Amino acid sequence: MLLEVRDLHVEFHTRDGVARAVNGVSYGVDAGETLAVLGESGSGKSVTAQTVMGILDTPPGRITGGEVLFEGRDLLKLKEEQRRKVRGAEMAMIFQDALSSLNPVLTVGDQLGEMFTVHRGMSRKDARARAVELMDRVRIPGARERVKQYPHQFSGGMRQRIMIAMAMALEPKLIIADEPTTALDVTVQAQVMELLAELQRELRMGLILITHDLGVVADVADRIAVMYAGRIVETAPVHDIYQAPAHPYTRGLLESIPRLDHKGRELYAIKGLPPNLTRIPSGCPFHPRCPMARDVCRTDVPPLYEVSPRRGSACHFFRECLDA
Amino acid sequence: MPEPILEVRGLVKHYPLTRGILLRKQIGAVKAVDGVDFHLDRGETLGIVGESGCGKSTVAKMLVNLERPTAGEIRYKGEDITRLSGKALKAVRRNIQMVFQDPYTSLNPRMTVGDIIGEAYDIHPEAAPKGDRRRRVRELLDVVGLNPEYLNRYPHQFSGGQRQRIGIARGLALRPEIIVADEPVSALDVSVQAQVINLLDRLQKEFDLSYVFIAHDLSIVRHISDRVGVMYLGRIVETGTDTEIYDHPTHPYTQALLSAVPVPDPEAREDRERIILAGDVPSPTNIPSGCRFRTRCWKARERCALEVPALAVPAAFRDEGGPAAHDSACHFAEEKRVVPAEGSGGHGGGPG
Repeated sequence: MLLEVRDLHVEFHTRDGVARAVNGVSYGVDAGETLAVLGESGSGKSVTAQTVMGILDTPPGRITGGEVLFEGRDLLKLKEEQRRKVRGAEMAMIFQDALSSLNPVLTVGDQLGEMFTVHRGMSRKDARARAVELMDRVRIPGARERVKQYPHQFSGGMRQRIMIAMAMALEPKLIIADEPTTALDVTVQAQVMELLAELQRELRMGLILITHDLGVVADVADRIAVMYAGRIVETAPVHDIYQAPAHPYTRGLLESIPRLDHKGRELYAIKGLPPNLTRIPSGCPFHPRCPMARDVCRTDVPPLYEVSPRRGSACHFFRECLDA
Repeated sequence: MPEPILEVRGLVKHYPLTRGILLRKQIGAVKAVDGVDFHLDRGETLGIVGESGCGKSTVAKMLVNLERPTAGEIRYKGEDITRLSGKALKAVRRNIQMVFQDPYTSLNPRMTVGDIIGEAYDIHPEAAPKGDRRRRVRELLDVVGLNPEYLNRYPHQFSGGQRQRIGIARGLALRPEIIVADEPVSALDVSVQAQVINLLDRLQKEFDLSYVFIAHDLSIVRHISDRVGVMYLGRIVETGTDTEIYDHPTHPYTQALLSAVPVPDPEAREDRERIILAGDVPSPTNIPSGCRFRTRCWKARERCALEVPALAVPAAFRDEGGPAAHDSACHFAEEKRVVPAEGSGGHGGGPG
């Protein structure tokens, strides 16, 4: 396993009390594999990723338990100095909003080149040449001229390509992409996802794709982890989950999206709202919204039951859900 | 044929680009909307889709008179409302209301929910007598699925989905006939999105509303619309019923757009053809000659640079009839199915 997260717990201290954002998350990614982490806002998907990357703000955040094993090494035990060497060189992150992730007063060439001057000790001139190469590689037309331009002079899709170029610069083993195409139009989204998948294949990187879009997941993922209220509620190979979900929340999500290929009648809507993380419901956190909930769901927290060797579901009644 | 409730002809909105401070000289224009025609029948939903910058939101603003068109007509029950002012305009505006995209910035944080919804009655006092207003507001909250006792709360006490319901209640306050909804669910989470879409569906039947539904999400537009118009760079390039557009598209831009939408079905991954468009949308200050899509079109030929294609049923389909015979602004229109056929695998069945 390239990366393995084990029983991770993260909380935030807020004025309203302690918000338990991540409550025992475990997942793993192999080299060359794409894991999609699916969840709505507040499910803990981004906080988990920030913890893996080592960019979680502490305080207000606090890691209260768990391990993040990268090639067998627990990153949470490393000193900040050692951590910084891992970040960028061994694992890199792509953010949703490219415009606010890039420095507006530096040229893109300077920002791309910085990867090489800081991590590889290259001269500015060599770093500039590498920046042009990278921009070519992510297919930005006229790289030689555009390397001198500032982020605002690029379109949204081109800026996201620059973010990808920056993440790829040192050929890391793992990429974490947090909603990389959410801010883009569909035709541009298709271009960017294709580019990302191609580079991943070439470099055999592990990819963690954080998203709320069930369509994007179906397109690119090998495995899925569905998160709800800071827990993984279902994990499975991508084909299995769309065929027959083993958790009522996953089922609800799949039913509630309108389809492109037929008109459909009334949409199924999961009732209620995602929980407030300072007051997570007892037992199964999904029980107040679940159509299958029974007494045991209100009292006992479901473990991640093994559905089959590569599948897990945190539902006491996963068999019923599969058969439904 | 009954008269459409709303008819738009040759709608244009250009924002001038000027240079100089004292002697302002116009040096060009942002052609946000550049000749749009459509109609809306009573009780139907017209979906308008397009990517950012195509002008769909500017069309919405002109429909509710938040922007004045540069040229063109907007006929409401036969009367051109772009020329109205004063009392006559106010009377018309009562009947065309808007629901906005962002439920966070479109509600005044310093007003209570009761005041936000009730403000409509201050502007149009004839709509409800003074003593009756609170009762009306309570009723509206109930209609959109909120507790009527929330009347005195402030917007920050609500979630995104609940705020969007408040925005919808405000849109309904004056009992309009037309609602223009600009991306009403794109800021919401998937599970909440479905709740709001179902609410809009229910309200349409209950109050006999006509919707202009503007969105970039093609799946949602298909779900809610009877007819769909696809916009590109300030113009509608193809329009028809939902089946005509989604299952029998003839314009290359519509085909590219549909083929790029990820379908939540991993089985469709391998055998689905993707049309990946080259490059970016041209700037609306400098629209290409002839067909405005030609710079990104894989079919473009000389004729496309010279002749602007009209939005009409293409000659090739005119005699044939059938679902491919609908308005498409392309010289070389061809039918091409890009959305996988219904039921080609994937997930079905009802919730557990």
